[in-house]
Amino acid sequence: MKDLIKDTIGKIKNQHIKPDPKWKYLIRKYGIWVVFGIIILLGAMSFSVTYFVLASLDWDLYRFMHQNAFSYSLSIFPYFWAIVIAIFLGIAFFDIRRTETGYRFSRLKIAILTIGSIIVLGFAMSFVGLGERLNLKMTRNFPVYSQHMMVTKESQWMQPNRGFLSGTVVAVSNEEIKVDDLNKKSWSVQINEQTFIRPMADIAPGKMIKIIGTVGIGDNFSASEIRPWAGGRMGEGGQSCGGTSNTCSMMLKKIK
Amino acid sequence: MIEKEPKLDAELIELSKKDPESFGLLMERYQGPLFHYIRRMTQLPKDDVEDLLQDVFIKIYQKLNEYNEELKFSSWAYRIAHNHIIDYFRKANARPQSNSLEDYEWEKIISASIHIEKDIINKDCVEKLKTCMQQLPIKYREVLILRFVEEMEYEEIMDILKKPKGSVATLIARGKEMLIRNMREQNINCF
Repeated sequence: MKDLIKDTIGKIKNQHIKPDPKWKYLIRKYGIWVVFGIIILLGAMSFSVTYFVLASLDWDLYRFMHQNAFSYSLSIFPYFWAIVIAIFLGIAFFDIRRTETGYRFSRLKIAILTIGSIIVLGFAMSFVGLGERLNLKMTRNFPVYSQHMMVTKESQWMQPNRGFLSGTVVAVSNEEIKVDDLNKKSWSVQINEQTFIRPMADIAPGKMIKIIGTVGIGDNFSASEIRPWAGGRMGEGGQSCGGTSNTCSMMLKKIK
Repeated sequence: MIEKEPKLDAELIELSKKDPESFGLLMERYQGPLFHYIRRMTQLPKDDVEDLLQDVFIKIYQKLNEYNEELKFSSWAYRIAHNHIIDYFRKANARPQSNSLEDYEWEKIISASIHIEKDIINKDCVEKLKTCMQQLPIKYREVLILRFVEEMEYEEIMDILKKPKGSVATLIARGKEMLIRNMREQNINCF
């Protein structure tokens, strides 16, 4: 064997070969973790929007649409955000595998780390209302988002022909509520003693409500149920005006 | 006279960063194992293996600041050699040459793959089995060489190939299966 050691050291000296600077290595090393952090952050933001959307949708509307719960849930599931989260999870997985010792982590460990981080951070973001704000920004800035990519609370409750209407109460009388829907169209919503009003529904001018019923001629809409705008199924437990006379009078009094 | 204790790899690395002469001590320590690894993997003539080994040592020297003490230096050096060999095959568009493993090295792989006593393996059988081994894709040949010829632990192979333990185990198991299948297909039944 030729004197490999001597030759190699000679080559290193003659060609002035030096070890690559440490900062280059550190930038690469920590860069991968920074990318991982950004991906987790974006994933958590997507999770917080998903959580907000899931929590704000009314999951019981299948009862009024003659569908079963499962197929209805599939039809309103926020696939867009689920796909976005899946993409972020995939990127995070490959990113962590690119770290210096990432190959030592099993798929399960990486999955627990990434999914866990996204869920925990996502809930924290939801808690401070980031999910709602992001969803609002998306709805306002990207009309295609709420029109085609997602079933949002707004799109769920802007289907008067299917019996779902929402809007802001403009005026209230004994048998009618004037409502401006989300597209600023005015509606005359008829109520009667059979109208089921959720206890949390505040039917007063300026308040937003959701209405289940039947569309009539022109701008008339006959209400069978009124729910508060806020929340998904949170307003459940209301009573019909068709109940005892006391309950009904309380409901009507509330309306008046 | 007090005998000087040999320096640890980590100490030699630190010294090498300041003085290339100290790198010679590291080279001395690893030139044998790395030479054999490159030869087994590439199956090139000795001079070509030495050229590749020199390139590997220069790469190691250039990457000294990247060395992570969580790894054994040997695993890290083998990793650089592994990457260099893969690059070499890619650039040269070459496949490993044949028949350059020593017979005892073939025997190690064969006995590990088919669970037989070493003394049963005869020369003729080894010759036939070389053909089957050469048909294995390089990723399977490599793990079989690392595991059964270099006699490395799974953790070391993980660190060299940068693959999770499960993947290393799968590669070894599949490599052995493929070797046995090749043997059956070629009607090699000399045990």
